[in-house]
Amino acid sequence: MPPEDQEPIVIDPDNRTRLAWTRTALAFAAIGGAMLKLSLVAGLVVLLLSLPIWATARHRRGADPVAFSPPHLRMVTGTVVIVALAALAVALFGHSPDSLGQLLRGR
Amino acid sequence: MTSAGDGHESPHDRHSNGDPSPGSGRAGTELSETGLSETEPDPRFTLANERTFLAWSRTALALVAAGLGIVQLLPPFPGVPLGRHLVGIPLIILGAVIAVTAYVDMTRNQRALRRRLPLPRSLLPRMLAATIGGVAATAAVVVLVSATR
Repeated sequence: MPPEDQEPIVIDPDNRTRLAWTRTALAFAAIGGAMLKLSLVAGLVVLLLSLPIWATARHRRGADPVAFSPPHLRMVTGTVVIVALAALAVALFGHSPDSLGQLLRGR
Repeated sequence: MTSAGDGHESPHDRHSNGDPSPGSGRAGTELSETGLSETEPDPRFTLANERTFLAWSRTALALVAAGLGIVQLLPPFPGVPLGRHLVGIPLIILGAVIAVTAYVDMTRNQRALRRRLPLPRSLLPRMLAATIGGVAATAAVVVLVSATR
């Protein structure tokens, strides 16, 4: 439930934003689960990183929607960059039948 | 710009109309470091800005997942040993670049909203279109070369 002092016209946008946070956390968890099959460590790291994003979605409940929180948003950006770097490492040096490392070493 | 799922009136549309909407200017007017007056915008604009950032972040994540899937899950292209990497790795890099650019855009938009200035033009749609077009062209070439060998 939104706080009593929150203007009614802001409640719906606040709910939509909370749902957007939840979708983002689910997206991170989904890619983390998928990465588990390719690399256990990278997958676990991404799965763990989805937890603070999920916590942010939960924490927004009842929060003042005006409060703009750059640290939380920076955390999302940082997590995407970490996922991209992990994906790059898996793509270059992973256990694919012909990974780039194997190709460059002439198999 | 909001994602399709968030499809609502953009902050820019209402902001440029000077609509005195509820909640605007709640925090009062302050002077920024540059001496420009800043007013806390309508909370709906701030929330829309946040949702747009999250939508771009999910797009970035989807690009990373697509790139990783292409490199790791597709069977190799016969005769083009680096084919999957040529297609997949640019997508992964684009995902990281979009995530950082989305954060920069979001902070610029928020600053413009506070100063009641027009929203700055975003590079993200053009960047996304150009890279996906390039990757599609590369994929077409890889498939054609692979088919002819």
